[in-house]
Amino acid sequence: MPADADWARALHTLWLAAADMADVTGMASHVYALVRGLPGVTGVAGTRWTGDRPVYARSLDRGTEPLTLPAQPDPSPAGAARLRALLARTDRAPMLAERDLTGDDDGAFAPERDLLTGSGAKAALECRFLLGDDDWAALSVGLASPSAGDRMLPLQLRQVCEILVALHHRNLVGRSHERLQMEAAFLAEASLQMDESLDIEETLSRVARLAVPAVAEGCVVHLIRPEGRLLPVARAHVAATAQDWLAGIARHDAWLGRTLRAAAGGRQGVVLRGADLDGGPFGPRAGGPGAAVRALSVSPLRARGRALGTLTFLYQRDDDGISDLRFLDDLARRAALAIDTSTAYEQRRLHVAQLQHHLLPPALPAPPGLTLSAAYGVADASLDVGGDFYDAVVSGDRVALFIGDVCGRGAQAAAMTGLARHTLRTLLEDGARPAHALERLNTTLVREGVKRFVTSLVVVLTPDGDGRRMEAASAGHPRPLIRRAAGGVEEVPVSGMLMGVLPAARYTETTARLDPGDRLVLFTDGLSEARDDSGTMFAERLADAVHRCHAPPGDAARALVALAEEFRSAGDDDTAVLVAHIDTVKEGS
Amino acid sequence: MSSVGEHARDVDLGRILVIEDSEEDAEAIERALARTHPSLRLDFVDRGEGVVERLLAAPALPGLILLDLNMPGLGGHTLLRSLRAQPALTAIRVVVFTSSTAPAEVDACYEAGADSYIYKPVNFTLFRTVLKGAVDYWQQSGGQRPPASSGPPSPAA
Repeated sequence: MPADADWARALHTLWLAAADMADVTGMASHVYALVRGLPGVTGVAGTRWTGDRPVYARSLDRGTEPLTLPAQPDPSPAGAARLRALLARTDRAPMLAERDLTGDDDGAFAPERDLLTGSGAKAALECRFLLGDDDWAALSVGLASPSAGDRMLPLQLRQVCEILVALHHRNLVGRSHERLQMEAAFLAEASLQMDESLDIEETLSRVARLAVPAVAEGCVVHLIRPEGRLLPVARAHVAATAQDWLAGIARHDAWLGRTLRAAAGGRQGVVLRGADLDGGPFGPRAGGPGAAVRALSVSPLRARGRALGTLTFLYQRDDDGISDLRFLDDLARRAALAIDTSTAYEQRRLHVAQLQHHLLPPALPAPPGLTLSAAYGVADASLDVGGDFYDAVVSGDRVALFIGDVCGRGAQAAAMTGLARHTLRTLLEDGARPAHALERLNTTLVREGVKRFVTSLVVVLTPDGDGRRMEAASAGHPRPLIRRAAGGVEEVPVSGMLMGVLPAARYTETTARLDPGDRLVLFTDGLSEARDDSGTMFAERLADAVHRCHAPPGDAARALVALAEEFRSAGDDDTAVLVAHIDTVKEGS
Repeated sequence: MSSVGEHARDVDLGRILVIEDSEEDAEAIERALARTHPSLRLDFVDRGEGVVERLLAAPALPGLILLDLNMPGLGGHTLLRSLRAQPALTAIRVVVFTSSTAPAEVDACYEAGADSYIYKPVNFTLFRTVLKGAVDYWQQSGGQRPPASSGPPSPAA
């Protein structure tokens, strides 16, 4: 018979073991062996219940490992009565009951009675305790006679049960803490994934992939299309072979379609299980992979008051593993925001591209003897219209080219870009010389009281033997380059005051001759000021790049912009390039 | 050495082969599964070389392989293909895990014959949840792949 000190040591050992154990069932061996060793005890039996239904039974007659018996899930009136007695206690503490095993079996102590009489017990002491509202258990010892137990036995049995209750609560708290930790980590990872790309479908595919199997066995995302249809855009299933099945269900199943439409309009998600799944492709009555699906959750994707679609999870795990709706809806809300951001960005980008397009000539003319090419590179991250412009005006055998840049971006810069381009175009169509055209534009800009500077370079080409004579004037614009057919690259030394500042600015012209095969390159500072990682500007490489650019005449501008983009790691500005190639006799024919 | 085309081998669903070159990650897997599936027996190898040969020679096959995709030497993709090229090893479920959710990477793994593709999160609790989800799934389906297509869906809309 263990002395009090021995019992204290035994309880202490139990606590220490509990610190290592993940759940109460892991404690079974320790508890049963300890109780079985108490004086007078012939056997130990335990039961776990949900309401009036037994979940499992355990017993230990000999040895140290208790035997766990499968549950018989039928409701038991005796179980209901035992639970009622337990709930009737105001302190909700473990209760003790003495059981006589010698009379007729009325089933009131089933299944423990059979388990204990097997070990020769004539009497039993039961300790019954609550774990949750209708989650309860009993630990009972068999005795050779009602008085065979030690006087300490009731106290000891009760202490063991109190430890089990405490462990159970500690584990519940631990599990819910772990779940919260998991959910927080998941939301953090999901948010990172949503930032990876502005492509909506790719983003949603990544989120679905991340969620399986962390959240559920399957995931489908549907978006509401402009015509009102719900279309699946992303899906993932833990089993590779089930993915096509899931894709098919997501697209074609009418039951799922109705379920999703109902949920899409709501403000909160729903979890469907059991009979909720009747008539659909999930649940034990469905065929194929859907049979294993026990529950479905559907959360609406909503942003700024608009229903965007649904986030659906398929669960094969039991209810314990299903996250609560608060978490699922939180995830859906974040996904909806990411979708909304991407959509807004995409629309804005489209508008900017359209506006920009209207500020540039639809096509360049093709004057005889010249091949013109132009390219425009839009700053990647920008959502504003840039201020670069260019155009070419042909009148008779005179070809005027111009390029320019309005400082800043946005609607105001766009309006001035339009004004500058059309003013220069009209003046040059009327035969204005380069310097005169710039002076007139400057006067207009100053008179309009604009708050922005404008730079521009105007070049007029006229036939000169087999080549061209070039007259150029600049208003604060980067100097053009000439790539000579004979070799070498020259900068044209032309400069002048930028426009929009001084009302009486005067411009001077610089002349040069272009031979057949020569190329004249006009560009904006987006090209020259592109920077690489080391901070070096493309300007330092520009002459070399122009020299080495062997693209055909019609592709020259695009090739230069591409070279600058390749070089660029910073200096995110729009870039315009206009190239005039003097055809050789062969090219011209 | 077993020959190609030999009839189905004994598969031990209680055993998992972990192919992972990072000692830290292998330790994390061991720690996670010891907690969620204490009765599983784990074997660890730190490289893909020789795995197929050893499996072909083994008396019983593990039910599941956890395969790290990014390993030096014989990479995960190559190993996956050579595993799938062996009819004697078809009963083994292969769960690939990487730190990428890029759609192209996922597709490539499925094409190479992965049964599951799981994302390896940084957070340990999340990692444990993900591993548990994959292992539970394949244990509950008894190592069976679900049929690729199935019973009739409810009438189409």
